Amino acid sequence: MSTANVTLFDDEFLKKLEYLNIISKRLFAGQLRAERRTRKRGTGLEFADYRAYVAGDDFRHLDWKAYLRLNRLILKLFEEEEDLPIYFFVDSSQSMNYGNPTKLDYTRRVAAALCYIGLANLDRVNVISFADGVKGELPPQRGKGRIFKIFRFLTDIVASGETNAKESFKTYCTEKRRRGLAVVISDYFDQHGFESALDILRHFRHDIFVVHIASHEEIDPPLRGELVLVDSESQVSREITITPSLLSAYRAEFLRYCEAIESYCGKYQLGYVRTATDFPFEELVLKVFRQGRFLK
Amino acid sequence: MTFLALSPLQTALLAALTAGTIIALYFLKLRHRRVLVSSSILWRRVLDERQSHSLWEKLRKVISILVAITIALLIAVSLARPEIESLTGKNERVVIVLDTSPTMNTHTADGRTRWQHAGDRARALLNTGGPTTEFRVVDTSGETASAFTTDRGEARRLIEQMSPRSVEPQFPKVDGGDSQVFFVSDGVAFHELPRFVRRVSVFEQAENVGITAFEIRSMPSTPLGYEAYLEVQNFGKPAEVGITISGTGGQRITRTVRLPRNEVFKEAFDLSSFGGGGVRASIQSKDDALSIDDVAFAYLPTKRRTRTLLVTRGNNYLETLLKLDNYVELLKTDPANYRESPNIDAYIFDRFAPSTPPLRPALIIGAPAASWLRPATGEVRKPEITTWSENHPVMQYVSVHDVSIERAARIDPANLTVIAASKQTPLIVASEKPKWVMLTFDLDQSDFPFHVGFPVFVENVLAWFNREQLALRGSPGNVEVPLAGAQIRTIDGKTIPSEQQLGKTVFEANEPGLYAATQGDARVHVAVNLANRAFSDVNRSVFKDDKLAAGPRYWLSRELWFYMLLAAVVLIAAEWFTYHRRITL
Repeated sequence: MSTANVTLFDDEFLKKLEYLNIISKRLFAGQLRAERRTRKRGTGLEFADYRAYVAGDDFRHLDWKAYLRLNRLILKLFEEEEDLPIYFFVDSSQSMNYGNPTKLDYTRRVAAALCYIGLANLDRVNVISFADGVKGELPPQRGKGRIFKIFRFLTDIVASGETNAKESFKTYCTEKRRRGLAVVISDYFDQHGFESALDILRHFRHDIFVVHIASHEEIDPPLRGELVLVDSESQVSREITITPSLLSAYRAEFLRYCEAIESYCGKYQLGYVRTATDFPFEELVLKVFRQGRFLK
Repeated sequence: MTFLALSPLQTALLAALTAGTIIALYFLKLRHRRVLVSSSILWRRVLDERQSHSLWEKLRKVISILVAITIALLIAVSLARPEIESLTGKNERVVIVLDTSPTMNTHTADGRTRWQHAGDRARALLNTGGPTTEFRVVDTSGETASAFTTDRGEARRLIEQMSPRSVEPQFPKVDGGDSQVFFVSDGVAFHELPRFVRRVSVFEQAENVGITAFEIRSMPSTPLGYEAYLEVQNFGKPAEVGITISGTGGQRITRTVRLPRNEVFKEAFDLSSFGGGGVRASIQSKDDALSIDDVAFAYLPTKRRTRTLLVTRGNNYLETLLKLDNYVELLKTDPANYRESPNIDAYIFDRFAPSTPPLRPALIIGAPAASWLRPATGEVRKPEITTWSENHPVMQYVSVHDVSIERAARIDPANLTVIAASKQTPLIVASEKPKWVMLTFDLDQSDFPFHVGFPVFVENVLAWFNREQLALRGSPGNVEVPLAGAQIRTIDGKTIPSEQQLGKTVFEANEPGLYAATQGDARVHVAVNLANRAFSDVNRSVFKDDKLAAGPRYWLSRELWFYMLLAAVVLIAAEWFTYHRRITL
């Protein structure tokens, strides 16, 4: 990949992203303080709640004014700001190398933008590429200065292999990982089904955000006549006569497939956004993610 | 099914070859374009669902092959020109004979004519039959006789051009062996028809009064006196009939008579008050259905005195006869003083002949010697007149069978008209050019001057020389005039085309009328009249009880190959449409 591709965004675009914040539906505890609030009560400055004093509590947090009014020892609780682990699962199966621009290129940009936002908010950013297994993993990064390392990692991803997200997620999550926000960027063409893969992440109590990438050629295939269709992952071929009715049936099936993913996400309150590769990238980040309550 | 262009075996081979070729081409494997897709998951789902649930998907290929074979077979078999008798009829021939006799002009109750109804029937017959049925249209006047054709439009055009003719109709020679013959007629003119003829009747009862005879004839008792004989018959219910006879000078005779059914009115009208020229007889009656027999024509010769120079040494018989004739202005001289004069209309040379032929016609008596006359080669004693030409104008109303002759000269009659002869000996001869009549005997040597026919004979000779003749009579159709190279005109001066045949002029007179044939100074009138009871009796039909004969009708009006090619085109269009929408392969 060229230098131009390494610098996936220009400076102006990166500055815009700095003001965006990743919203997590859940709050997670972090090892380092960050700009994200957690449920963990601690030494922060933001008042959170009261509770009855028990032996061993810090006297400094007793509310003496309440004691004078109520004649009871009431302890003030404060929220503690911690960092958030974000796991970007980037699908790098052969099917992602399809379309113009390819879904993988589009995914790289989406992932890079989200990573940058995470880094800018001092979150702990992890990037994992997967196909039929975990193909590569970037150790947790923190701070905007690490963005170029992430860019390099994303650039080095090569699309290959069949998709097996379930095995990939299982492999990754069975190692000791902190719970966090798992952003799965994929086309979700998985012979083994997308549900079981996402179930793994849910099982490990990650907050999941599904980014569904589709190319225009998949949504409305420009196919006609007698063809041999070759599956890019399995290389299985099949003779086919493309008729208008068949195309209609395919488009309906594609829509059903997308709705099935969306329905699954709705059922388990997972974040979901679907986009096509011909949709302007900047608009996607600034508007679609805002509409999807991913950014604020 | 039969085939007109190929034998059944050839057709079967062609069909088999075509079907085989199509099947072979269909199974010829085409290398399909390989297209890479990101994943075949969704395609597989769609295809599995469609192929497992759609009978059409299973049959698509078979149906596509069947459609292609059907198209190819339709085209291939159409080349063999198939024929299915129940659909298109067999290859048959139909002859439509249209009666063009004069009675077909009879009007029917609806205001049309029998001929117009016949045209409708004939056109209806053309709509029958199959696409390979050949038609031939013939009429009874001999004017139209088409060849067999499948082109119904051409046959219709021929029928449009046809019309009833006032000529004697004749049933055409048609072969009923391999053809169906339909005869569209009112059945009046044809009472006998071949057995194979199928009658198509257009007869309808009609009222008609017609002139069945009309002629002008001279009265033997009155030189240059003429009368018109008229005969009118009623062929319908009793009717008042108005009769008018009119001349070119404005003379008119009118009469109204009441004629019961089938009654005949006959009368001779005195035309002494009429000047010369055409005479027209017409009748008027209510509800008359046929007009062509309501008028008839004749010609009345112009009355004029003939300046006649008698050159004789003395002949009392002749002198007395000619002096008493009111229409002869007689001049007399002896042979020594003979001088030809331009004021003379005719000469009578009695035992004398000038050295050069006169410019005017001459009656020569006694076979005198002259270079322009036939020399006498001998003498015949007591010849008996055995033959004479009653039709020659000079012999009209003249009987010479008992004329006695003492001596007569023998001459060579070559190129002369022999009017009367004794066996091989001509006794009265005539020459057309120059015009003269010669008696080969002296009147002194015969009792001819004492016969009642002699004055008539002299009168006839002078009339033949100079006076106009009564009109020749003819019927509509081809009319012959005994005048070579004559120009034919109607009484209105309109020229009629004519042909020359064996020294005669022939022209076609379609309608009754008076015609004049002119050749140099010679002029002959021809009165063409229908005057035929057979035609005027428009109800004398043998088709009265006939039911309408109809030709066979079939489903298809064109040959089967046309519909096969049409079906092939439709199938090709459908295949093209479905192929481009990937409905068929």
